[in-house]
Amino acid sequence: MNRRGGRGELLHVEGSMEADKYVYPPGVLGSEAAKALAEGKLTGIRCGEKLIVPPRPYCPDHSKGELVEVRGPWIVESFTIVYEDMYGNMLETPQVIAVLRHEDAEGSIVHFLKAEKPRVGMRTRPVFKSPEERNGTLGDILYFEPAEQASKK
Amino acid sequence: MRTNVHVKKRVAIVGAGLTLFARRLLETPAELAWEAASRALGSAGLALKDIDCVVIGSAVDGFDGVHMKGEHIADGAGGLLRPTVRVAMGGGTGVMVPIAAWWHVASGLCKTVLAVGEEKMSHAYPHPQAVFAYIWHPILERPLGPNLIWIFALEMAWYMRECKASKEDIALVSVKNKRNALDNPHAQAAANITVEDVLKSETLVWPVQLLDISPVSDGAAALVLADESVARRITDTPVWIEGVGFALDSSFWYNRDLSYPRYVEQAARMAYKMAGIERPWKEIDIAEPHDPFDYKELHNLEGLMLARKCEAPRLLKEGHFERSGELPTSPSGGLLGMGNPIAASGLMKTAELFWQLRYEAGARQVKKAVHKAVASSWGGLMQTSTVIVLSR
Repeated sequence: MNRRGGRGELLHVEGSMEADKYVYPPGVLGSEAAKALAEGKLTGIRCGEKLIVPPRPYCPDHSKGELVEVRGPWIVESFTIVYEDMYGNMLETPQVIAVLRHEDAEGSIVHFLKAEKPRVGMRTRPVFKSPEERNGTLGDILYFEPAEQASKK
Repeated sequence: MRTNVHVKKRVAIVGAGLTLFARRLLETPAELAWEAASRALGSAGLALKDIDCVVIGSAVDGFDGVHMKGEHIADGAGGLLRPTVRVAMGGGTGVMVPIAAWWHVASGLCKTVLAVGEEKMSHAYPHPQAVFAYIWHPILERPLGPNLIWIFALEMAWYMRECKASKEDIALVSVKNKRNALDNPHAQAAANITVEDVLKSETLVWPVQLLDISPVSDGAAALVLADESVARRITDTPVWIEGVGFALDSSFWYNRDLSYPRYVEQAARMAYKMAGIERPWKEIDIAEPHDPFDYKELHNLEGLMLARKCEAPRLLKEGHFERSGELPTSPSGGLLGMGNPIAASGLMKTAELFWQLRYEAGARQVKKAVHKAVASSWGGLMQTSTVIVLSR
């Protein structure tokens, strides 16, 4: 007898394991951070001397953090280039994913990077959607681009 | 007589904290964990830096809607860069959290443990019942389209027939617990209702009606545990963990007599033996049995040997289980009154006994003097029991 349990001649029962959908609220402080994002502002929390990104209500020592705007360049800490999606399809344009650290902050964020020659140490800045298209989610930032290039525009 | 010789350290609970239990809270799961953990630490007069190890409990990833839920809530629970583990025993998780925290301390591995239970059931749409649809055997049960209430209804009907208990008898649990919850500032479903109200509520799956069931909830609870040397420094009124027990029965739930939970008795016997309790019905002063459904409190009380088989409905009617009674049960309001964020509600029951044993329960404080207490969680396909015995 064929002992493989896939969809062969063996009887099988199909099923799935999902709720219809999930709805994730961003949290109390996260709601404020989302509003700021829709206004084109990135945020973090102030914990004494430290600036922590991304924002969350609690500091590493469990004390309460204060939401603050984070301005200025984000530096590429590491990056990778995605050529194939999770189903094995080649992407038309390879996509650069970067870990981006704010120079004053502890911790980094991760986002797309649009740069001809990505390199570690590169200074970047976020490129936002137009204000009317923003809705307070991560997608409000289209990608990060080299800060030097931005200043030439 | 104490029979356990393997415990290196005596373990105390020295702090407890809860969030509000409610439907659709704005807080993220990690934020709920943080709030409960901060309150528990605050009540013990400790800071996170004083904690050696963290135990997280959360029943099912599917509720919060992230896999690796323990890892995700770990930073809110204070679990970063220290020994941290998550336990998951379905509905039995709530009391499994202090049990696992206990063995961290009892073994001598950690002097202080932060134990956090969290569940956020409102992320799944249209209803968390969608998640419960996947707890069944995929070949033998799922094709029938079962929902969670079926299995409770079958068990409740079995218990009612076996024990000749009426719907009126059982509804009294819901009346008692929802009323007890009126004094609990964290409660979701506190209410002054009558037996009539329960009997008039919508019949969902006979004999289960809407007011027979605890509501689904979001929430978190936390405890701080410490070994004796630390506990004596922190507080004059430590609450000791005297015994723990847990047992699992088969997931072929229809292969046994559902009118009596033999696995609860097994877990309870283990905990009582460790605690040196020989006659629990006489020695236990106060109990927080798992009560996701009203009949379930009676069922668990019998399994915990706090009432003889089929005796619990009569004792309930006589006022035995009221706050003013001989053996107050679910003085917190239970899950029926507090709401049921699964891992958090079980831990909440242990927290309530901590406050009761320290005479800190305020308006909820039971009338009698209390020395020994028992809490239980229950879960799975009528198969899991976790039991903890405390003393002052």
